[in-house]
Amino acid sequence: MLGGGMRDARRTERYLDELMAADERRASEFPVDVDIDPQIRVAARELRADLVRVHPSFRFEEALAARLAAGAMRLRAGLHIEVAETEAAAATPGTMAAYRSRSPAGEGPVTTAMPPATALTEPDAGSPAWALRRLPEMAARQSRPLIVGGVGVASAISIGAVYVAWRHSHPASGRMGRAARAAHNRATGSGRRRTGVVDGILEVVS
Amino acid sequence: MLSRAQEGTRPARLDRDRGLVEAARRDPTRFDALYRKYLAQVYSYAYYELRDHHAAEDASERVFMQALAGLPRFEERVDAFIASRSVTIEGGADPADISTFRVWLFRIAHNIVANERRRDRRRHATPLEEAAELSAPDDVAETAAAREAGSAAWQAVARLPEDRRRAVILRFVDEMSTAEIAAILGRSEGAVRVLLHRALRSVANDLRGQLS
Repeated sequence: MLGGGMRDARRTERYLDELMAADERRASEFPVDVDIDPQIRVAARELRADLVRVHPSFRFEEALAARLAAGAMRLRAGLHIEVAETEAAAATPGTMAAYRSRSPAGEGPVTTAMPPATALTEPDAGSPAWALRRLPEMAARQSRPLIVGGVGVASAISIGAVYVAWRHSHPASGRMGRAARAAHNRATGSGRRRTGVVDGILEVVS
Repeated sequence: MLSRAQEGTRPARLDRDRGLVEAARRDPTRFDALYRKYLAQVYSYAYYELRDHHAAEDASERVFMQALAGLPRFEERVDAFIASRSVTIEGGADPADISTFRVWLFRIAHNIVANERRRDRRRHATPLEEAAELSAPDDVAETAAAREAGSAAWQAVARLPEDRRRAVILRFVDEMSTAEIAAILGRSEGAVRVLLHRALRSVANDLRGQLS
């Protein structure tokens, strides 16, 4: 026979399970359990909303992955890993990016990827050029789905494409630029110069 | 038909991470898959416990390095009691959802974080409320952390006794079952249920106090 405290604890556990499940299926309404103390319900929702999972910076993740790979190679070669010596190596700066995992079991957790917060300290953080610089780093993370969103990034991509097209249609006027163009024309046997933004974009896209 | 107790004796075949663990044991370079899968969870646990992202990174590194080094000795059957408890006592738990590796990994994390907290207490004690004042205004990372720390719920959790706080973090942040938390904290499932219930009651009182 369960005591009152244990019965309440089980009821709370059931409510938490339902709360997590509702979050998992992105239900808009909270589960309702009229038997549970309303204050506990509110506290559970607050904790569910505030205690988000955090992710270390991409830089830290990749640096540690590299160190683990090196350790794994040592193990494969029959050598030991000096665990203590790795402690000093953890000085790579980085920080968190919050996200909510949609998987209760914690499978491949990331549904949203964000640039590391350390990147935000760069002088031009947030600018299109900054976003363009960070794209390869984000795109390199192939092991997980990556959603790069936001107007900034979209506009950065557009600006980047237009810039490349503009550069293509306005060749450098310096001595090196003329020499490079002449060499290119000789190599391809084509003296045709693509001009115009549309041609440039088409070439970039192709 | 197998009784629940009998089912509990064959957890290893059903372990969710069995394939990844076996691959990593055959070839340590395959450990990367386990690392990627659990990094955020381990880091989050360390971060909520240590409240400093550098310390959390340091702890995460040690956890995964120890796990990699200890993987050849990792035996699912050594921890069979964990899985058997998950199957037999929890009742509704699907054995395919059980990862003895995750429990093992978090036991390492639990020990490392507990040691770090002890060391940190000896070094200095900084109340959470002072965290925001300590961070430099132009340090985006620290500011973000301080803002997180400023949330009422987090502060309420920070004031909880150690075991309740850990149970809450494992339940809400790492989304673990009662059975998994019990195995990590070395408590019975009933004790963990009560811990969580009391923790929620404390947080509720705390939040109500802050509002009033």
